[in-house]
Amino acid sequence: MARNQKRWAVAIAAPAVVAVVVAGGVLATSASADLPEKTPEQVLELAAQADVQTFSGTVEQSSELGLPDLSGFGGSTGGSSDGSGTAADRGLSPESALELLTGSHEARVYADGSDKLRVQVLDQLAERDVVRNGDDVWLYDSSDDSAVHTTLPTRSDDSSDEGAATPGTVPTPADVAQRFLTAVDPSTDVSLGADTSVAGRDAYDLVLTPRTDTTLVGSVSIAVDSETGMPLQVEVLARGASSPAFEVGFSSLSLDTPSAELFDFSAPDGTTVTEKALPTKSDAPDASAAHPEPVVTGEGWGSVVELPVGTDTAELTSSPLFSQLTTKVDGGSVLQTTLVSVLLTDDGRVFAGAVPADALQAAAAAAPAGGAATAPATPAE
Amino acid sequence: MSSSDPTAVRSSRRALGWGFFLSELGVLFRRRRTQAMLGALAAVPILIAVAIRVTGGDGRGPAFLDRISQNGLFVGMTALVVSIPLFLPLTVGVVAGDSVSGEASTGTLRYLLVSPVGRIRLLVVKFASAVVFCLAATLTVSVAGLLAGAVLFPIGPVTLLSGDTVDVGEALLRALLISVYVALGLLGLAAIGLFISTLTDAPVGAMAATVVVAILSQVLGQLSQTELLHPFLPSYHWLDFADLLRQPIDWSSFAGNAWLQLAYVAIFGALAYARFATKDVLS
Repeated sequence: MARNQKRWAVAIAAPAVVAVVVAGGVLATSASADLPEKTPEQVLELAAQADVQTFSGTVEQSSELGLPDLSGFGGSTGGSSDGSGTAADRGLSPESALELLTGSHEARVYADGSDKLRVQVLDQLAERDVVRNGDDVWLYDSSDDSAVHTTLPTRSDDSSDEGAATPGTVPTPADVAQRFLTAVDPSTDVSLGADTSVAGRDAYDLVLTPRTDTTLVGSVSIAVDSETGMPLQVEVLARGASSPAFEVGFSSLSLDTPSAELFDFSAPDGTTVTEKALPTKSDAPDASAAHPEPVVTGEGWGSVVELPVGTDTAELTSSPLFSQLTTKVDGGSVLQTTLVSVLLTDDGRVFAGAVPADALQAAAAAAPAGGAATAPATPAE
Repeated sequence: MSSSDPTAVRSSRRALGWGFFLSELGVLFRRRRTQAMLGALAAVPILIAVAIRVTGGDGRGPAFLDRISQNGLFVGMTALVVSIPLFLPLTVGVVAGDSVSGEASTGTLRYLLVSPVGRIRLLVVKFASAVVFCLAATLTVSVAGLLAGAVLFPIGPVTLLSGDTVDVGEALLRALLISVYVALGLLGLAAIGLFISTLTDAPVGAMAATVVVAILSQVLGQLSQTELLHPFLPSYHWLDFADLLRQPIDWSSFAGNAWLQLAYVAIFGALAYARFATKDVLS
């Protein structure tokens, strides 16, 4: 019997060894760094000075916005309209943008200087690519083997238009962090959290906490690379939540120059290629109707954006997703996420903000209907 | 050289191990059942290729289906996508589930152990032949797909998921890598099947239980409520073989798959050893 016990001991030891190895791996990645002390101002400055334009890495994004998983919808809408559903439509449709913002995504990012960029959104058994090489921009979608080609205006020497070149993709941490860093103003308390480690690099954790409690955002934390100042990770926590509602960050990062072949892209044989002038719509659903001037009321974190009547809400509201995602309220429909609320009033106006839905309703009631109208009203559906 | 010479004993034992392994493989692959399963697996890509050839390949279907009519090299990959959820786990479940309990049910297990074959060696050889079967099964799908694709469709440079194009040679290399990847992904299931097989004398029960494990793992993998479990499910990396079709190749899922399967082999191998070494072999 002693021998038998020894044999069972082996059987128990194996899972224990596996568990120790797994736990060891987890602990090793979350080990906190010990960096020289810095004030928040110094870290902000470090981040502002960041000038890393050549790198390759893997970006992981996960969102828990309290919306249903839309990954299925993204696929089905692309498949049902196979003839016309090219990368152009998919990349820019509200469904696609919503699908990218919700759920989890992984993307590989390669950048070489300011004018060579490749983003690969790694879907299961498929991939969506954005390649920019100089003035040439390609969008490629492997699921329906379609591509879009755009030539940027030649004046695009100002290197800041990375965002414009990547419609319908996961934003890089740099984009997202920059957005928040510019919002740092007296409305926000900036502090430093414990030093962290992201993608194997030691980082300062810059924590932005809104001073007002009218917003849904609890805090935003940005991991700033201690060496280069490059933002490595952005986490947005909803008020009162303990885990991030939106998170994007590098899971691996190398500062080596990526292979030049990666940026040398042309549409493969058999691909449906659409030549397109510069896309006029950008990826974010809020910005999709950006041409008429939006009206901003309130300030700081609690501000509410009003988009005038006549923006293409019809496209949104006719979508089968719309009724699933929104709830009917007095005077319109509300899309409620843990971070952002959007109110579509019955007369076609759109209010959005990082505030609770009732704040939007109050804003809608306060603003005169049709006051901001600049285009003929579309009939409310 | 006397019979007490230790090196002679060892080498004869080693020879016995290889001989046992080879004879085990011979038994496995000469079995009608095994041949029928491999034949069924080979039929998957052939059916797909013929169907696409006849209908033209429009409409919706599994990944890569729409590319077949342009390039026959995609037949094997489409067939793998189709086979991974059920057919491959089913055949692996049959082989692994049958490994020990099959011998027990036909009464040959005790004769195997009476001849100088240790219980550990028996388990190792059974697992090794299951590993060979995993590889044979995935290669069968890939090779049958390649042949069917080459016969019915044009073969040419392959467009990867990233939109880059590689020549036929590299495409074949990647197809081979994919077969290895898929076979690797089945090892954990083979170890689970081996363990279940030591629990019972009824091979059908062990086979069914192994297939149920495979299906359960995939069902759990679909539910968002069990998201924490997902990375630990044996089927977690099954469909990530597409990472080998990116440019550059994303090796992270290959490594993740290998570690995950290694953990399953370690755990269920140890459990199988403990169970089998302490078991009273009566049949």
